[in-house]
Amino acid sequence: MFSFTKEQEILDISGIKIGGQPGLHPTVLFGGLFFKGEPDFESGRKQLQKMLDISKKTGNPAIPDFFIRKEEYIEDILVFIEKTVPNNHPFSIDIIEPSLKVKTLEYLDQKNLLSRTIYNSIHVGITDEERNALKNHTPNMAVIVAFNPKDKSPDGKIEVLQNGANLTDIGLLDIAKKLGIKKILVDTAAMAPGDNSGASIAAIPVIKEEFGLPTGCAIHNVVEKSKWLDDFNSARKPVDASSNINIQLFGGDFAIIGPIANADMVFPIIAWQDILISEYTENYFGIVPDDSHPRRKLF
Amino acid sequence: MKDEYYPWGGEFTTCSAKGCVAVVILNVDYTPPDKVAIYGPLKTENIGIEKIVANVISNPNIRYLIVCGDDIRGHRSGSSLVALHKNGIDEQHRIIDAPGAIPFIENLNNEAIDRFQKQIEIANLIDVKKREDIDKIIDDCNAKSPPSFGEPYIAIRITPTATTLLDDKRALHSKIVMNYMGKIKKRGE
Repeated sequence: MFSFTKEQEILDISGIKIGGQPGLHPTVLFGGLFFKGEPDFESGRKQLQKMLDISKKTGNPAIPDFFIRKEEYIEDILVFIEKTVPNNHPFSIDIIEPSLKVKTLEYLDQKNLLSRTIYNSIHVGITDEERNALKNHTPNMAVIVAFNPKDKSPDGKIEVLQNGANLTDIGLLDIAKKLGIKKILVDTAAMAPGDNSGASIAAIPVIKEEFGLPTGCAIHNVVEKSKWLDDFNSARKPVDASSNINIQLFGGDFAIIGPIANADMVFPIIAWQDILISEYTENYFGIVPDDSHPRRKLF
Repeated sequence: MKDEYYPWGGEFTTCSAKGCVAVVILNVDYTPPDKVAIYGPLKTENIGIEKIVANVISNPNIRYLIVCGDDIRGHRSGSSLVALHKNGIDEQHRIIDAPGAIPFIENLNNEAIDRFQKQIEIANLIDVKKREDIDKIIDDCNAKSPPSFGEPYIAIRITPTATTLLDDKRALHSKIVMNYMGKIKKRGE
C-alpha cells in the first residue's frame, strides 16, 4: 500500500473521478460488452443494469466498455449507448481496426457523444488517419496503452510514453496532447503469461510516480490467455476476478475487467480491497476517502 | 537436432518432425493431418509471428508454411505474416506493408528473418476454410518431398538487459524507492 511523492492528477468525466493518491477515490472498473458474435442488445441491457446496480452498492464507478468489431455494428451500438447508458454516464469504445476507429469517432461526434467518450485506445500502432480523426473528433478522455514490443519491462513502457521508443515519431503522451486530448489514462499493457505479464503490475507505481497520471491495466487478459488454468476449471473465474486486486495494491486507479458478466464477482472483491487500502492510507498518509468510497458504504 | 531446441514456446501441436509442412490456423475450425510438422493458431501480429518464425527455422525439414482461414480482425496477423515473408522489416522493425495494428518484430534478429524468408515458401490460403482445399495443398507440398534446408537455426530471443544495479534495498524498481511506510519517491531525489 503506497503513497506517491509526485502530485497525482485526478480526472473527472461526467462526475466520475479517476486517479489521485491510493485510498482517495474508489477503483474505477471497466466492464466489456459485445466481444463475440453479433451484439446481443437485450442481454447487454440486462448485464449493464446489473453492473450499474452493483456499482451503486459498492461505490466503485462502472464504465461500460463497448467492443466494436465490425463497421455494420457501429451505429446500432451507438444507438444502444444513447438509449441504454444513463444520461451523461461515461463509456469507453474499444476497437482494434484503425479504419473502424476513424468511422466510430465520426459517428460519436455526429451524435454529440464525445464528451462522454473514453477512447480505448491509443498505442504505437496509431495511424495518420487515426490521428486526423482524433484531432477532428476529440474524445473527452483516452486510454494510452504503454505496449512496447521491444521491451515489456516498466522501463520499456515508460519509453513508449516518453519518446515513442523509435516506434512513433514522438512519445505517446505528447501525441495525445498534440491531438487535443486533455485527459489521459495509462494502461500498462498486460501481456500473456510467460511474456513478462507481471511487468504490467510492477509498472503501475513507476508510471504514477513518473507522470502522476491515473494508471491501470487489463490484468484479466493474462488470466484469459492462460492454458495452465484449464486444469483448474472451477478456479478460473475466482483467479480472473481476484487478479484485479494487484492493480489497486500497486497503487493503480482502474481495472479493465473483461466481460461485463465478471462484474458480480469483481466489484465486491475490489471494493473490499479498496477498504483495506483506505484504512491504511488514511492512518499513515492522511488520505481521507472520498464520499463515494466503498469504505463509506460498506460499514 | 536436439529435442530441447525444437520447438519454441507458444500454443501449437507438433506431429511429424520430418514433415515439410507447418500450418498456421487463423479463424477457422480445422485440424491438419498428422503428417504435418507443426500446426497452431496465430493471434497477434507481433509476438505470435515471432514465435512462428522461431519455431519454423529451428526445424530445417519445414519448407512450406500454409496460412489458412479468415484473417484475425484488426490484428490482420495472417496477412502480416505473409508480408514479413515477402518484404521483411524496416529500420524501426516494423513489418513492411503489413496491415496489422502493431506489426513489430522486436525479439528476433535480421538473420533469423532472412533465414525464414529463404527456408520456407508460403502458401497463402487466407480466406480458405474448406477442409478438403487445405488438405489438398498439404498433400501437394508433401508430394514435392523437398530436401532439408540444412542445419537448424536456433533464433536467439533478444532480451533487454538491466542497466541499473539495485543495491538499494528500498528500491521497488530502478526508477523508484519506497520508505518503510510505503511512501514512494523517484530514485535520487
